[in-house]
Parts: sequence; C-alpha cells; structure tokens
Amino acid sequence: MTASLSSQGSNPGMMVVPGVIMSTPALRIRGLRKTFPKVLAVDGVDLEVARGEVFGLLGPNGAGKTTTLEIIEGLTSADSGDIEILGLTWADHGREIRSRIGVQLQSTSLFNKITPREALDLYGSYYPRRRGTDELLDLVQLQEKADAYHITLSGGQQQRLALAMALVNDPELVFLDEPTTGLDPQARRSLWDVVRRMKGEGRTVVLTTHYMDEAEALCDRLAIMDHGKVIATGTPASLIADLAIPSVVELAFAGEAPDAVAFSARLGQGVERRGDLWEIPTPDPKALLPLLLEAAEATAVPFQQVHIRRATLEDVFLHRTGRSLRE
Amino acid sequence: MMLWRQFAMEWRLYGRDRVAMFWTFAFPVILLLGFGTIFRDGGSPKLSVVRVQAQAPSLRDAALDQALVDLQLKVQALPKAEAEARWARGETAAQLETTGEGYRLRLNSYLMAQAGATAGLVNQAWLMAQARLNGAPEPGRIPVTVESPGRKHSANYASFLLPGLLGLNLVSMGLFSVGMVNVSYREKGKFRRLAVTPLPKWVFLLGQVLHRLTVTVIQAAILLLVGRLAFGIENQGSFLNLLVIMTLGTGCFMAFGFALSGFAETSEGYAAISNLVFFPLMLLSGVYFTLDAAPAWLQHTVALMPLAPFLRALRAVFNDGGTLAGHGAGLAIVAAWGLAAFALAVRRFRWA
Repeated sequence: MTASLSSQGSNPGMMVVPGVIMSTPALRIRGLRKTFPKVLAVDGVDLEVARGEVFGLLGPNGAGKTTTLEIIEGLTSADSGDIEILGLTWADHGREIRSRIGVQLQSTSLFNKITPREALDLYGSYYPRRRGTDELLDLVQLQEKADAYHITLSGGQQQRLALAMALVNDPELVFLDEPTTGLDPQARRSLWDVVRRMKGEGRTVVLTTHYMDEAEALCDRLAIMDHGKVIATGTPASLIADLAIPSVVELAFAGEAPDAVAFSARLGQGVERRGDLWEIPTPDPKALLPLLLEAAEATAVPFQQVHIRRATLEDVFLHRTGRSLRE
Repeated sequence: MMLWRQFAMEWRLYGRDRVAMFWTFAFPVILLLGFGTIFRDGGSPKLSVVRVQAQAPSLRDAALDQALVDLQLKVQALPKAEAEARWARGETAAQLETTGEGYRLRLNSYLMAQAGATAGLVNQAWLMAQARLNGAPEPGRIPVTVESPGRKHSANYASFLLPGLLGLNLVSMGLFSVGMVNVSYREKGKFRRLAVTPLPKWVFLLGQVLHRLTVTVIQAAILLLVGRLAFGIENQGSFLNLLVIMTLGTGCFMAFGFALSGFAETSEGYAAISNLVFFPLMLLSGVYFTLDAAPAWLQHTVALMPLAPFLRALRAVFNDGGTLAGHGAGLAIVAAWGLAAFALAVRRFRWA
C-alpha cells in the first residue's frame, strides 16, 4: 500500500477524522523524569507540540535532549510523567504509535553491505502504510547511490538515508535526534531542505540540536534544555526578544583578548570576555558606540575590529545559564 | 510474509559477507581435507632410531641390527661424532649405541611420543636378537588390527574427524553467528532502530534463527559430501537418528549463544566470554582427538559438558551405525544444557 504525497498523506494532522483528533496536539508531555545511576537525566520536563510544527530541543551535550526523545520514542522508560503521542499512550497503543511516527536515531547503524534501496524496502515492509522507495530516494537525493553499499556512502548520504528511513511509513510525527551533527556545512544545508519539505508536507517534526543556527533556521518553536530541565520555551524570535538586548557589540583583538576590568569600569557596563573577543550586549548600539570608542581610547585597548550583530539563541542560552552552548 | 522477508534478507546480506562464508563453508572443508589427508592411513609415521656405529661390530650387534630392520624400524647408522652432533641439534628421537657389555638407548624428552614407541620396538628387537643368538625359538607376537569400536569398519582419521567438525560448526555457529552478532547489534544500536518500528521482535529473531538453521544444514551437507567424495566416508547409521542428534545440538548451542550474549556489554567483552567457553569445549571434547589418555577427573568433567556427549552419540550413529538407545543419558545432558541456556537467555537477553 503506497500512499501518495498529494492525496491523504499531504496533511495528516488535518485528516478528515473525528474532530477530537484535529484538536489534540501532536505531542504532550507532563512531568517527565528519568534518573540513571548517579545522573538525573531528565528533571521534570513539560512540552506541548502542535500539529504541523517543527519543534526543536536545543541545548548543549548532556542536557537531556536525547534521553527525553528516547523516552518519547518508547526506547527508554521514564521514572514518572505522562506522554501522549498523537493523542495515544504507549501503554495502550504502542503498536499504533510505532506505525504512525518516524524516528531517526542519533546514529543509525545498518548492515555494511545493504543498499539504500534495500534498506528502504525492508523497513517499509514493517509498516502497514508506506511510501514508495523511489519517491523517498528522490526526496533525499540518493537516487544515484540507490544501489551502493551503505558502507560506501558519505556521512551526509548516510544521514540522508536515515532521514528517508524515518519517512518510510509516511509518518505524521517525525523525531530527528541531532540530524546534522558531524556533517559539513553543505551537507547540513541539504538536510535542512529535507526537514523543510517535511514541514511542507504537513508533518510534525521534533528535533534535537546543539547548533543554534540550525534551531533558528528550522524551528517554529523551541525548548531550550539544560541539566535535564526546560529553561525556556518559545519561538526563536520571541526568545531573543525576551532578552531585551537585541544587539551585541563585539570587539575583536589580534590575539587573546586582554583583561576587561579597567575598560568595563570606564564604560560603566559589563563586558564579557570570550576567547579573543569582548562581547557587550546592548539595547541601543548607536548610543553605545561613541562611549565605547572613548573608553577604548582612554584605557588604550588595542582592538582590531568592532562588529555589531543582533542577538542570537546563543546569547539567550548564555544569558539564562551563564555558559556557552558549545562548551 | 514478514518472516519470509526477514529470512530472505538475512540470506541476501549473508551472501555478501565473503569472510563469513569462508569460515562457515570453506574452512571446515579445508580442515577435513587437510587433516584427513595428512593422517590418511591411520597409522603413525614410521619410527626411526639412530644407531651409533660400533668400532668393531660383534655378532650380537649384527643380530640386533637385523632384528631392528625386521621390526620395520628405520635405522640410521651414523659414526659416533655425527650421531652426537645430530643428538645435540635435537633432531634425534632415539639413539642406540653399543657400550662395553651391553647397549645404551637414549630418548629425547621433547619427542616422547615417537621415542617411547621406538623404545618398545628396540627392546622387542633385542629379545628377538637374543633368541636368535641362543638358537631358541623366536618370541611370538600377537597380531594387531586397527578398527572402529562399532559394528562397521571405517578406520581412517577423516571419518573420526568429520563428526567432530559437524559438532564444532554447531558450537561456533551458536557462539559467534548468534551470540556475537546479537551483542554487536545491541552495541551498535541496530536493535534500537528496529525497536522504533512496529515489527514484532520475535519475527526478527525467528528470521535470524531460521537463517542460521539453514546455514547449518548446508554446512553439514557440504562436509558429508566432501567426506564421501574425498575419503569415501559414509553415514553408517540412519539419517533420521543423525537428524535428531543434529537438531538437538543446534538447539542447544544456539541457546548458548543467546544466553551468553546477555552477559556482555560490548563485542570485546563477548569475545572474551565466548572464547572462555569455546576453547575448552573445542580442545577437551574430542573434536580432534580422544581424551582416553587424560586423567579420569577431566574425562568425567568433560562428559558432563554438552559437546562431548553430543559427539559421542553423533559418532556412534555416523561411524558405527549405532542407535540412539545407548546414548539416552548423553543426549539428556545435551538437552539439559540446552534448556538451561534457553532459560538463561530468556532472562538475560536484552535489546538495548
């Protein structure tokens, strides 16, 4: 049974089925908690993802994103908490949930000598409803490599195959765990395109990432996670706006940035040192700039460049946790 | 249908794995052909003794040398200095030399298997020589024949080895093709990828088990065929009995693999555990040689392990045309191990 994209598969969230379904969110999580020996991995997470949304879990490595996702996917059991997926629970509808979701794990291990075509045929055969293999190969641009052994594919191609495998059952809800980690910039862009196409097809996408640019580029809404907790939720724009410091002035130096104490005192404002940069968050860069130049003159700061940029999710994370995402 | 697909895919991917194919199908055949040819006649290699040439050979010496030749010992006569040099190089197993009033026989402690047998023959030759010198009747010898213990005769080593290899195949299939593969599937997350699909897990496992079963059957068929063509070895018993024993063994050792895979976190860990099981089983259970010379406690212990009674029953049927009747206890031991392993596998097997 191959469902074509254009017919009923185009917007599963809006299927003409009892009205209740339309109003149920794709995903609803309450009070999720999970402790591993000696580590509190997930510490009371609440989430709600609407149908058709691309939702991101953003946070540094070890924040609990993957554990959260694996609990939702039914791979790990939670210590406590409630999960509803497409209005269904694991206890009562495990098999149906598995048939209607698509999953890309952080690393997808396949037999070395299976080809993308065979992998898609095989995994497709596990589902009652499936998309055509050629259509999927087109979607992730793997037609050329359709009959090459898995082991001969590049990292980006393997990741795209994993993505296609997550779509093999024409799922309503797709989970992607760090889909672009370890890929070069070009491969990342091409993966982003596939994710955007999923959204275009009306699927709900939940992804984890520790790249703020990826979160900004792809996600309608985000939950920022740290130490097993959700510390902020919202659209990328609203999260940045909530910072109330829309801009950041950066001072770049030839080598390591010098100590900022004297300069900061003269400027009358905090300066954050990051490697060979100073960062000065400000609501009004136009007013700050003259003051900054004057202070630099007075304290003989040997900066090389001044750069004004708008605040990013990185700044949101920094502001909320005092740490950088990349650390 | 799902099961068939799973089974067919196992075969398809297996067919691409040349290394696995070699070890599974070609290696046992090479072992059989190699060892079977080397020990073709079943007899031991011809024994030889270095004879240090006497300064002035006496009548007695001549009689002894003649008796040695009569007993088909290979006699290498060397001058004293040359014989000593050869001894010093460690190439001599036994060296015989005339001393003033008698003889001296030196045996190389590193080559005792050969040297011990040689010593027996030399002493026998000495008895013969003395009788001849005295004009007494020659000591008579008891005729010796080499046969298998069963009702039919099949004397060559290959026919002893073949059932051993059949058994060994089952063990390595269970420990490596089942146990090792499942540990690596778990370790690499292949099970996790399956777990997020609606495929029932039993379908996956049953597909795997059926594939391994067919591999075993083909493997056995190849070995039997090669044994027949190369050495004229035939199954002396009923094929039904053979099938019963093989099925029991397959079940037992496959369960072993599943059970052991539950005890290792990583492939490396599993390699250590499985070798701990594999090598003692292989070396002590009579795959390549019998353990008749081993201490009694070891023989008793090994008889309680699964492979030895399995091979005993297999050889009784295959080589000697026996029935299963006399091997109930041994087969019960195999079955008990299989059940215990299965119970353990059910408790310990993990998907993630």
